[in-house]
Amino acid sequence: MLQIKRQVIKIAGESGQGINSIGEVVAKALKESGFYTFGYREYPSLIKGGYASHQTDFADHPLNSSSLKADVLLCFSRVSFHAYLPTLRAEGQVIHMLPQLELTETEQHLAKERAIKIAYLAADKLAQEAGGKAIMANVVMVGALWKLMGLALDPLKAVIRSEFAKKQNAIQSNIACMKKGYESKLEGLNILKINFTKTEKCKDDALLTGNHLIALGAITAGVRAYFAYPMTPSSSILSYLAQTYHQTGMLVKQIDDEISVAQMAIGAMFAGTRALVATSGGGFDLMTESVSLSGMTETPFVCILAQRPGPSTGLPTWTSASDLNLATYAGHGEFPRCVIAVSDHKSAYTIIQNAFNIAEKYQIPVIVLTDKLIAESLFQVEKLADDVAVKRHLVKDSALTALKPTYRYKITSTGISSRWLPGQSDAAYAANSDEHSADGSITEDAALSLEMYSKRLRKQKTLLEELPEPELIGPQKAQVTLIGWGSVKNTVCDALNLWNENYSKKPVNYLHYEYVYPLRLKKLKQLIRKEQSFVLIENNSFAQLGSMLTAQTGHQFADKLLKFDGRPFFVEELIEYLEKKLLS
Amino acid sequence: MNNCNCHSHSDISFHDYFSDNLYTWCTNCGNYGIHAAVKRALVAEKIEPCRTLLCFDIGCHGNGSDKIGGYRFHGLHGRVIPFACGAAIANRKIKVIAFGGDGGTLGEGINHLIAAIRGNYEVMFVLHNNLNYGLTQGQASATTKTAVKMNASPNGVTSDPINPMEFVLSLHPSFAARTFSGNIHHMTQTFQTALKHKGFAFIEVLQSCPTYNHMTPHQWYQQRVKDVEKIKNYDSRDIEKAKHIALDLEKQIVIGVLYKNSKSLPFMDRQANRLKVKTELVEEVQQFSTDKLFNAFR
Repeated sequence: MLQIKRQVIKIAGESGQGINSIGEVVAKALKESGFYTFGYREYPSLIKGGYASHQTDFADHPLNSSSLKADVLLCFSRVSFHAYLPTLRAEGQVIHMLPQLELTETEQHLAKERAIKIAYLAADKLAQEAGGKAIMANVVMVGALWKLMGLALDPLKAVIRSEFAKKQNAIQSNIACMKKGYESKLEGLNILKINFTKTEKCKDDALLTGNHLIALGAITAGVRAYFAYPMTPSSSILSYLAQTYHQTGMLVKQIDDEISVAQMAIGAMFAGTRALVATSGGGFDLMTESVSLSGMTETPFVCILAQRPGPSTGLPTWTSASDLNLATYAGHGEFPRCVIAVSDHKSAYTIIQNAFNIAEKYQIPVIVLTDKLIAESLFQVEKLADDVAVKRHLVKDSALTALKPTYRYKITSTGISSRWLPGQSDAAYAANSDEHSADGSITEDAALSLEMYSKRLRKQKTLLEELPEPELIGPQKAQVTLIGWGSVKNTVCDALNLWNENYSKKPVNYLHYEYVYPLRLKKLKQLIRKEQSFVLIENNSFAQLGSMLTAQTGHQFADKLLKFDGRPFFVEELIEYLEKKLLS
Repeated sequence: MNNCNCHSHSDISFHDYFSDNLYTWCTNCGNYGIHAAVKRALVAEKIEPCRTLLCFDIGCHGNGSDKIGGYRFHGLHGRVIPFACGAAIANRKIKVIAFGGDGGTLGEGINHLIAAIRGNYEVMFVLHNNLNYGLTQGQASATTKTAVKMNASPNGVTSDPINPMEFVLSLHPSFAARTFSGNIHHMTQTFQTALKHKGFAFIEVLQSCPTYNHMTPHQWYQQRVKDVEKIKNYDSRDIEKAKHIALDLEKQIVIGVLYKNSKSLPFMDRQANRLKVKTELVEEVQQFSTDKLFNAFR
């Protein structure tokens, strides 16, 4: 298989051991050392116990995906040792702090076969020797990791100092523990061969999660109210917006249930501010009646649907892209909507801004899909993507004095009618969940109902004309075109960079759908006409996007690469698939 | 944000809340009186229709959403309270009034009533309590008395009813009143007091339903209601007293402002990061710079 040109460090332990914090320190210190990083979390739906990991892939070029296999395992618990030992590459190395660790027969066989080296470090004892507390064993382990990687200590020291900036008295002992780890003997292990060079360029990059970027996008977009009921993997948007609310002045409120969340947002949007909500599958199920209400009353509504595997409670802390159908079809009756899928760190920031402009222009519900991988992975970002201008499409200034109540739902060729807010004009109207006439008065008249129903649906067509075609990434001509949406883009792009560099005679490209409903089909139809060979790649079992594309183009997709075990696609999996398909 | 100035040179009249749409309620429905009293109270308090948002639940009362002036929103069954709370948070310059029936409020959406009382959102809420589901043709609600035969309960209702005032007072509301749809003057006065209240104002209207509620018709209530103001030394700040007099729904039903706690801060005054902010959320929508926040991740 192709060399994937990256090094992979996996920090593993049990929930409650601070695995994520250690992982972030490692990622930050690697970045400060001059590498590009990508951080991926795995953890159970438990507060204490189970096994959890934070994996940092690093390289001399930007990375946005994870490798299946690790080079180093820094291990803090027995359960996680047994769970993650098989994820080590050949000649992988382990540092653990588990006295009397016994390998099973299978593990011994595996370690021998892959020439895996394992070293024990009495980290808690060393921490105490260095004058620290037992919990500082974490820092001893990281110090030892730094020695194994053969990297200079200064960047790590700086990161530890800034991590403990608020606990001045803890800095010295942590630094002492780090040094103790660095100076310790790692019997039988070899210093890692990092065969790529450092760069000064990335040292000032930011490290943040997709949820941070979505929250920043919401702040930029002028969102002034955020309502949510906690649900993984959307919860950290709520936490971050609450942490920053003194700076932003945003009203951030945890609400008692998702139905209230959706209704409060629709109420706030009707009054005329920008309100945002986020949830996951089960919470969104509760909101679906409100999605339909937004469609009928033409009140803008923006909801982030952060996907995780279902059905029901499913795998609460793992990833999936199986709610495209839910987002597209949720809500009774027929009404226009827009579904957009965040894919990478750029779109996490920009899509939410576009979502509000679309929701306000077309006065429709807009559902923004993300998933656990985007929500909680640690992206390295040089700078934020360009801001999207806030466009509200409200009646303004002198036009307000000329309004009549019947303008609110006036029948138009685009389907879009004027929208203004309570308090702005004496042309007060009713917004009605019952079928209604132009001023919102209830009607059951057949002709009038048909006219209003059709007006609303015309907005779907008008919207479709405004949306961009999917992006074709990679060489224009290719042996195979992958088609996907959402976070698979990251793995696909990282894998295709490698692939096309090495197999330029067998190029592969990728058609990426960011706007997943309604669907633009021109580019795809061109490729179909040219009899292009396709592979669908989706993090679900139904090939949900593929089914929609088939329904609308008639094209049957023979090749599908589908994954639905709660894990994202890893780089090696995609490379292996392409090798089998194109090289054998 | 541009604001309407339609009444800057004229007084508000009853006519301003008029709608050309004809009412569709049954003859003698309690809703007629409630609408009349709401309009009177709004005019008496000089609240212009362009600064009023009337929010309606689903049910007979909701069919009146287009038969009155002002901005109106007719939403989903049981969900009017969170909608109204969201709107009220966004713009305190708009008077937000919500209406719901006993079905939507005490059955399907009872959690919302609890949340609104706890949060003390600035909403005046009118509970149309007619002891049944009218618009679906007379099924039992959470306030229908036990053993009464209703549509879908041919042998009589088997669950025990909720006394809405007793329930609401258990949550320590900032304002709780009861009034009667047969007394427009009393309703108007009660609504006027509620409109001046800063916080969630709960008003239960004992409402006659001539079509489906034959147990407690207009006359039944008329013989039993007693204005709280006629009770000597009644102190509406005393919640224990309020809880006590709220219990009787059979012999002497006390109406008026039963309880008021003006010390309870309204929702927005409880938000630490909004205390010094002078603008409303609707006035703040604009591009914000996130450079500083982003740089904190470097």
